[in-house]
Amino acid sequence: MAAGVAAWLPFARAAAIGWMPVASAPMPLAPREKRRTQDGFIIINVSGTKFQTWRSTLERYPDTLLGSTEKDFFFNEEINEYFFDRDPDIFRHILNFYRTGKLHYPRHECISAYDEELSFFGIIPEIIGDCCYEEYKDRRRENAERIQDDADDENNKEGVMPDMTLRQSMWRAFENPHTSTLALVFYYVTGFFIAVSVIANVVETVPCRASPGMIKDLPCGDRYALAFFCLDTACVMIFTVEYLLRLIAAPSRYRFVRSVMSIIDVVAIMPYYIGLVMTDNEDVSGAFVTLRVFRVFRIFKFSRHSQGLRILGYTLKSCASELGFLLFSLTMAIIIFATVMFYAEKNSTASKFTSIPAAFWYTIVTMTTLGYGDMVPKTIVGKIVGSVCSLSGVLVIALPVPVIVSNFSRIYHQNQRADKRRAQKASKEAGQAFLSKTNLSFEKEHHHLLHCLEKTTNHEFVDEETYEKNCMEVSSVNPPGSRCSSISSQHGLTSTCCSRRNKKTFRLPNSNMSGSHAGSLQELSTIQIRERPLISNSRSSLNAKMEDTVQRNSEHPYVTSAIISIQTPPVTSPEGNNTSDSPDYSQRNIVKVSAL
Amino acid sequence: MVGGGSFEFEGLQTIGIVCLVCMFLKLMHLLGLINFTDEDSSESDLELSAVRHQPEGLDQLQAQTKFTKKELQSLYRGFKNECPSGLVDEETFKMIYSQFFPQGDATTYAHFLFNAFDIDRTGSIRFEDFVIGLSVLLRGSVHEKLKWAFNLYDINKDGYITKEEMLAIMKSIYDMMGNYTYPSVREDTPFEHVEKFFQKMDRNQDGVVTIDEFMETCQKDENIMSSMQLFENVI
Repeated sequence: MAAGVAAWLPFARAAAIGWMPVASAPMPLAPREKRRTQDGFIIINVSGTKFQTWRSTLERYPDTLLGSTEKDFFFNEEINEYFFDRDPDIFRHILNFYRTGKLHYPRHECISAYDEELSFFGIIPEIIGDCCYEEYKDRRRENAERIQDDADDENNKEGVMPDMTLRQSMWRAFENPHTSTLALVFYYVTGFFIAVSVIANVVETVPCRASPGMIKDLPCGDRYALAFFCLDTACVMIFTVEYLLRLIAAPSRYRFVRSVMSIIDVVAIMPYYIGLVMTDNEDVSGAFVTLRVFRVFRIFKFSRHSQGLRILGYTLKSCASELGFLLFSLTMAIIIFATVMFYAEKNSTASKFTSIPAAFWYTIVTMTTLGYGDMVPKTIVGKIVGSVCSLSGVLVIALPVPVIVSNFSRIYHQNQRADKRRAQKASKEAGQAFLSKTNLSFEKEHHHLLHCLEKTTNHEFVDEETYEKNCMEVSSVNPPGSRCSSISSQHGLTSTCCSRRNKKTFRLPNSNMSGSHAGSLQELSTIQIRERPLISNSRSSLNAKMEDTVQRNSEHPYVTSAIISIQTPPVTSPEGNNTSDSPDYSQRNIVKVSAL
Repeated sequence: MVGGGSFEFEGLQTIGIVCLVCMFLKLMHLLGLINFTDEDSSESDLELSAVRHQPEGLDQLQAQTKFTKKELQSLYRGFKNECPSGLVDEETFKMIYSQFFPQGDATTYAHFLFNAFDIDRTGSIRFEDFVIGLSVLLRGSVHEKLKWAFNLYDINKDGYITKEEMLAIMKSIYDMMGNYTYPSVREDTPFEHVEKFFQKMDRNQDGVVTIDEFMETCQKDENIMSSMQLFENVI
């Protein structure tokens, strides 16, 4: 019930006196109402900005922070106010929610900052009012996509995980050719053969000079039949091998078989096998010729190689409703104009408009402004109708096109953004490494703590390389093996230990470890990156950068990013990530360690 | 044949020309060069909702009702929050009241309630009406409360409650219960209830209940008297 309506409850109760005289039974007792103290002011100080409201306003929503006794934790006796060290601009909206019962989302605010504030004050975002809900959802979706892109990038950038089966590594090679040279070679070879196959299909039909002894020009396909057949066989074999390999490597074979690309593959190679199987039967040779048409679908296999083509396909799919509307309106217009045209031209001599369907052709040609001229109206009315037809044709076709174009543009730019972000990441990480130099005292205290931990457990922190080496020796035992996988997965990531921790939390669930084990392990693994970074040889240039910065301030060999380490766990765990529980837990563990 | 053909031809020609002329006019209208309708379309945009009401001063209200200043202040704040214009029309009233009874249909009863509050029959409840009504209900004497209830039941305000009026009230109360009740509300349940009521209240069996009969009977009934005190502490 809205806050405003709750204010009318006393009225509704008072009006219940109207039922008393007609009541059939005695009334229940009124609920015990505590002596209601007079409504008082409550002052909330958010980072210096003071907000004042009635206590009863806040008590409207008792399951939020401000409405419950949780706010007592923030009460400061000295100033006799409730002090929150949060953003006052966003707090304004939160307080307005209590006042009006409607939560608004300001457009200029960052979505993640807003979400964080909402979760801090215990307000669920789903109650955002209709006026702002669409905007909020759009921004949230974009943010989730961005996070997903980042996560995908991380997945792609990591090196080979030793415990990946051959099948998994094969699938990864197929999906991301840039991961290994073998995959790249395979990618280019298949691309080459697709091109060869398509060109062969095309050249087959070009008339070649007749062989000596023949008069007519033959198509090249018939002249050099054997050569083309061999070429076709070779291509089909390569495609078949590729398809089978993909089928074997696919994580979900059923889903793979149903996917569009696999259907295209099958359709591309089927005609050849059908042709092999069929004998030279005259009845079916017609059908066989038709089947050859399907060979041209091989050209669609290029879409694996070209991102632009995929975007186009995706755009058309997402604009299906606009295309459908276009088709529908065109059909309507065609039928109308064809009918009128037919009746207009019915009486003219030698009219080509023999029936309405015959007039369809004229209408289509006119509306798309082709104007072949094979059918032309002769009567005046016919000409008038024809001109109206061509004018309206331009309009009807021009209408849905901007929608499709804007869809395409949006998706295309999204992809561009992903690429841009990848490019920007390098400079961003360099910037973070720079930032991290500033909070030196924090680092000192942090590392003193880790030193204490070392002394406590009587173990030492080692760097990545040596640890991996030790790992390989003990690879038979499961837990260290999984430890290795998680450690080596960090290779090539950002240089800062704490941000590495953040990334690591997403991967720990994969290695199937218990929560507590994970916690302690994380600390070990993250620390080892920091110790003696000069020695570690790194593949990525980012690590090299870190080494440079590290060498500069040699008395502080550890590079941390203070800003990131105190980051709260992401509020909106994207898209039902049910592993988010353990990352949150372990991340909180980490936060405690570094926050001191 | 030829004659028929030429008729057809002329017919089509006429149709074509008519269509063309219509489209031309429409195009002109679209472009704003001609106006078909009257020039009053612009005036409708200027229609402001200029209905607003400010209540009388706090002191006057305090004199008219039995609420303290602070209570009046808090009441007005809630009222103004929900109805910034200062007036509650019947639709809004019905909507607000229905929110408290989600399982049934409270609109009919809300209609009667609205009429009971809207003493001067203006069609909308101002804050004064609201607060005066509440004052009677919460701070009034039992006599005043009973009078208010009688006023509620007497739909046409003629001083007599007839069986039809009572039936209407009873039906609206049962409507608020909704469909899912135990035991289920039968068709004649309101009717029986009205019969019981009239048996109790109607002393001289003339088919109507006057205010005196009503007062007398209620004051003799302990249940009713005790239930009148139920909502003393609502504000």
